[in-house]
Amino acid sequence: MKLKGLSGGQYQPLSEEQIKTIHEASLSILEKTGFTFETGLEDTLDMLKKAGATIDRNNARIYFPGDLVMEQASKAPERVVLFSRDGRNDLDLTEHRVHLGTGGAAIRILDLETGESRPSTLKDLYQLGRLVDQLDNIHFFLRPCIPTDIPPTAYDVNVFYACLKATGKHVMAGVNDVEGFRNVLDLSSLVAGGMEKLREKPFISIITSFAISPLKLDTQTTLIMQEAVRNRIPVALSCAPMAGSTSPITMAGTLAQIHAEQLAGITICQLTNPGSPILYGGIPGMANLRTMGYLGGAVECGMMNAAIHQLSNYIKVPNYNSSGLTDSKIPDVQAGWEKAFTSLLAAMAGSNYIHHAAGMLESMISVAYEQYVIDDEIIGMSCRVLRGIDVDPEHLALEVIDSVGPGGNFMTSPHTLEHMRDEYFNGNGIVDRKSRQKWEKEGSLNTRERAREIAQKLLGEEERLYIPEDVDKVIRERYGILL
Amino acid sequence: MADFQNMIDTLIEGDEKKLTSLAQSALDEGISAKEILEKGLMAGMDIVGEKMESEDMFIPEVLRSARSMSAVIDILKPLLAEGDIIAAGKVVIGTVKGDLHDIGKNLVAMMLESAGFEVYNLGADILPDKYVEEIKDKNADMLCLSALLTTTMPMMKATIDALSKSGLREQVKVMIGGAPVTQDFADQIGADGYAHDAGSAIKLAKALLQ
Repeated sequence: MKLKGLSGGQYQPLSEEQIKTIHEASLSILEKTGFTFETGLEDTLDMLKKAGATIDRNNARIYFPGDLVMEQASKAPERVVLFSRDGRNDLDLTEHRVHLGTGGAAIRILDLETGESRPSTLKDLYQLGRLVDQLDNIHFFLRPCIPTDIPPTAYDVNVFYACLKATGKHVMAGVNDVEGFRNVLDLSSLVAGGMEKLREKPFISIITSFAISPLKLDTQTTLIMQEAVRNRIPVALSCAPMAGSTSPITMAGTLAQIHAEQLAGITICQLTNPGSPILYGGIPGMANLRTMGYLGGAVECGMMNAAIHQLSNYIKVPNYNSSGLTDSKIPDVQAGWEKAFTSLLAAMAGSNYIHHAAGMLESMISVAYEQYVIDDEIIGMSCRVLRGIDVDPEHLALEVIDSVGPGGNFMTSPHTLEHMRDEYFNGNGIVDRKSRQKWEKEGSLNTRERAREIAQKLLGEEERLYIPEDVDKVIRERYGILL
Repeated sequence: MADFQNMIDTLIEGDEKKLTSLAQSALDEGISAKEILEKGLMAGMDIVGEKMESEDMFIPEVLRSARSMSAVIDILKPLLAEGDIIAAGKVVIGTVKGDLHDIGKNLVAMMLESAGFEVYNLGADILPDKYVEEIKDKNADMLCLSALLTTTMPMMKATIDALSKSGLREQVKVMIGGAPVTQDFADQIGADGYAHDAGSAIKLAKALLQ
């Protein structure tokens, strides 16, 4: 069953009028309140000033005229294709087409053997990539964890290397500095077989968290973002305020602030290189007002991530957002419902590139191998909903009903055989639908235990060769690869 | 007779106006500023601290209580004799170099202040030497370091190392915190303590300086 890139849009928490109201509010935030900045962005400020923004250097403010913002937003492509290397997992991001995958920068992982929480490593990153490569409903591989066992200065190339070696799906991650970006670009072009080939079909993209909410440009990341945009490598303009601490407690206020932050980022990108592929990266979140931590699993996160797609769609820029977070520490019932709610809502809104959707636990602190297997199923089911119910003569089956007739059954009808495998969602085997007797005989395994078995089986498969040996040798010689 | 219980309840509710007028009437009745501070404000803030730790209060409510308290302290200050306020300790606090996240750190700073500490909040993205300088300058008893990014956590160790090099390490207790930080990490880099939230940070600070 083809479940990637289906059309959402069935769930629209904001009315058309509400979308317009929020959009206007965002423009007014940019005009009246403006953005602040720190040192190191002189060229960026000059560029903005030349384009018509007002720069108040004494008070460190940038004020964006609405016309400037909308003119630049209109230059951003309505469609961005993020390529895979296996050819089966290209992501066509436009309108309400939905894709879900991994995400995060977790620093802990539940060990697959012991089940205990421990720091995540470079090897984990590689193994998670291999696991995701074999789980069909996880559409892309965004670096889900930090390799805490290697020096931070070695992160950039090693993270991209581990991901690209593990999977043929599209790979996305952040980088620490402009030099790191250039190294990653070089490494990826080696994998692609040349820079031109990489630019033509970019199978990597960069997360650039350019805004520190509320309304402040982060110098380092803004520079990385501009450098990536100059190279036409797609960027996700991530900004992730938490309602109650870094954005207003109210959902509408949070959405308005995020939309303003996105419009500012888009303006900078399109002035830097008109027409460059970018993803609107608003990620509405919530603060846990009892601890000030990040609340991942709240149902309102699902609602707001649905709404943010409506806002990105309003300015015709494909979007990157989030679902599938949970505040639970282990793959349990709470994790299940929080993930299902937020992923289904974000998908039904038509979000184009939903990250965090697989593997995450403990808000953004942890991941677990088993959770990827479970979330592959949740994503699959969410996407099945998008396909809707086909109503045509073949699916209405009037002839079949007539031929079986009153009092008969449909078990042997060719129509049943024809549709039994594509009308309903068939998962990866994690769901238990056995009789109690059989379930008990097989060890009375719970969901996490079943997921563990599947993960172990998949990781036991032969490693796929995603970086040819000769290229691998060159990369290892040029960069200190620690995997 | 001053109604200290009413004052305590009002502080917990964070009604600044009412708390100010309660304190003012108590002063008019002849109650000493010291007694108001101790039996009304500090006693109330102790309960707020407990409620924060048990997650019975939202942090913005805690901050509202802290703000009400400092408004009253402003009134009491000129009336307090030398030695009436004994600072629980002098604390230098900041987010380490390379890290711009400061919400949690500011929260801890504010809570420390309302718990009676003298707090020097340096801000975010602070170089190790800057902390050392400030500790020397203020003759501080404690250093609190915050980091939110896994990539800046090593700066905590660098800061502690700088402290050792300057010969000030023995003089101050070092407490660390931030989302990715753990007790193990604190032990590893030779910090004196780790607190996982603002409530326990205050408790730990008091314990470390006792």
